[in-house]
Amino acid sequence: MKHTVDVNIPLGPVHPCFKEPARVKCETKGERIIAAEVELGYMKKGIERIMKGRPWQEVMFLAERVCGICSVIHNMVFIEAIEQVSGIAVPPRAAYLRVVANELDRMQSHLLANFSYCYTIEHETLGMYLLDLREKVMDVIERLTGARVTCAYIIPGGVRFDIGAQDEAFLRESLARIEDDLTRYTGMFESGPMIALRSRGIGILTKEAAMQAHAVGPTARASGISVDRRTEHPTYRQLGFEPVVRTECDNYARIMVRFGEVFQSIRLIRACLDNLPEGVIRGGGTCTAGETRYSGEAPRGELTYIIRTDDYGRVIDIQIQTPSIMNIEACCHVMIIGVDSVADVTSTFVSADPCIACTER
Amino acid sequence: MSILQTIKDKVRSRSIHVSYVDLGSCNGCDIEVLACLAPRYDIEQYGIYVHNNPREADVLIVIGAYTPGWQEKLTPLWEKIPDPKAAIAVGNCPISGCCFNRRGAYIDPPVSKHIPVAAEVPGCPPRPTEILAAILSVRDAVFANWEGRQR
Amino acid sequence: MSAWIYEQDLTAQKYRILVSVRHDRVIRQIAADLDIGLQELRKYVIEHCDMILLENLPARYEAALTAAGDADPVAKAIGRDLYTTAIPLVPTGIMETIYQTTAAKVAAGTPFDAAVADARAMMKEVIHA
Repeated sequence: MKHTVDVNIPLGPVHPCFKEPARVKCETKGERIIAAEVELGYMKKGIERIMKGRPWQEVMFLAERVCGICSVIHNMVFIEAIEQVSGIAVPPRAAYLRVVANELDRMQSHLLANFSYCYTIEHETLGMYLLDLREKVMDVIERLTGARVTCAYIIPGGVRFDIGAQDEAFLRESLARIEDDLTRYTGMFESGPMIALRSRGIGILTKEAAMQAHAVGPTARASGISVDRRTEHPTYRQLGFEPVVRTECDNYARIMVRFGEVFQSIRLIRACLDNLPEGVIRGGGTCTAGETRYSGEAPRGELTYIIRTDDYGRVIDIQIQTPSIMNIEACCHVMIIGVDSVADVTSTFVSADPCIACTER
Repeated sequence: MSILQTIKDKVRSRSIHVSYVDLGSCNGCDIEVLACLAPRYDIEQYGIYVHNNPREADVLIVIGAYTPGWQEKLTPLWEKIPDPKAAIAVGNCPISGCCFNRRGAYIDPPVSKHIPVAAEVPGCPPRPTEILAAILSVRDAVFANWEGRQR
Repeated sequence: MSAWIYEQDLTAQKYRILVSVRHDRVIRQIAADLDIGLQELRKYVIEHCDMILLENLPARYEAALTAAGDADPVAKAIGRDLYTTAIPLVPTGIMETIYQTTAAKVAAGTPFDAAVADARAMMKEVIHA
């Protein structure tokens, strides 16, 4: 006699595919997922509570440690929010160097996300190629900022270090090599039949569903929504920025959007270096009281800081809205519902590039 | 030391399975542990495999500052790992709580309160090479002549 | 019957999410809007929403407020989309009934505020039950 039961399959918190602890409880009917519940709470540190009442000099470092993978953008958004509150102007050279650091950070984050995806669908060769490529990007970041992760490069009124002629030559050389390699790896991903089998048409997030779930970043752009906070950033506008959008809506599209954005980052960095203005890298200014809401585009989507400071530049009130909270929700409540097998849940989850540390702070 | 023990030591030193668990860090140490997998560092030349499966692990890499969500989960996880085993605390968070250890935070460092920690790698975050060196030194200190020392 | 393994009580952790500054503000606003007790509303959301929904509660609330246009004043006033899709407090079917009733009342000539107050009372009943 055939006997069918509905089961609840919990994945995580320690799972070979998840880089960070999260628990997804999938309610299944046979192999089909009909509902999913996310269980968090493994990373809740209460950063916003710690930040309250501290001077910006301390909050700056805590803001970086909201998320280690995209630390530069957290640094940048917090500092630009402080600058907006206090009316501090940034020298043009520093503004361009910020874009260089930010785009390098985006490159390494996207490469890591794509590595995770390739690793999850058990294509280790391509994963290792991408991880090795990421080390090249990390070298450049280290050369430019002095640290691999959490480098605190951006400070109010400028950046910490200037880029020398030698560093610039090294950066250009590395970019050329990364572009060459990445072209080859992207071709491998595009044409691999095994990859297509596990990526194309899986984890569909239609445009309407993405709108309703408020997906952001590459997840939204892979569903055909042209949304990118960088289009509103003054420096990016000077560089002529256009978001990368695809319309396939599946896992494959999300990974290809990230590849496309890495190429775009390379172009942006080249444009920055070509037009790098001469001058100082640090202007002056005083951090004062005020209240603002400032958004930037993190590698995973829109990142918002809502801060209130007092006369001495202390942060009285701070709220952080990270991109992953929307993407994980879109992923768990829309994308994985109706996938054909439980085996596709992990790859779909990873394709949305969830960052639990951001989500819970 | 018996011949059997010598063979065991030899085999163990060339086959270390690593599992990692994030107890609430900023992800910075996470990605540095992942970077260890990169062909540049080539951990498999030392026989280290990262599977992230506690049942077949020898070394547990602990990252992060112990959040309350792990209260009922870390100790069972540690007990699942077969002997001989060792835990390595990577980064400042599991050692002291780093910059999160302030009034109002939800964390409860150090991790050594909850499970025995064999080695600590300070840094925020430490470099992949340092993490690799720690795994290798734990191998020599903990796994050599393990049965002999049990008696 | 053996005990549950790994299934811990999440109430404390969910409560921690709800008391952070922005979430607290939104929950207080909803409680004032629907005229229910703060702790009661907290208990209701903790029981009915999973953790990721709680985490992005403020973001969804803001987005729903901006999305609710002026085209349908009744839907906006009773928060038809806000309390079903954005923040799932009331089941969609029941909300649709409430909306139909309220719209009919307004069309029949009941003062707008009174009709909306009735709708609020019905939603409150759903949450109480």
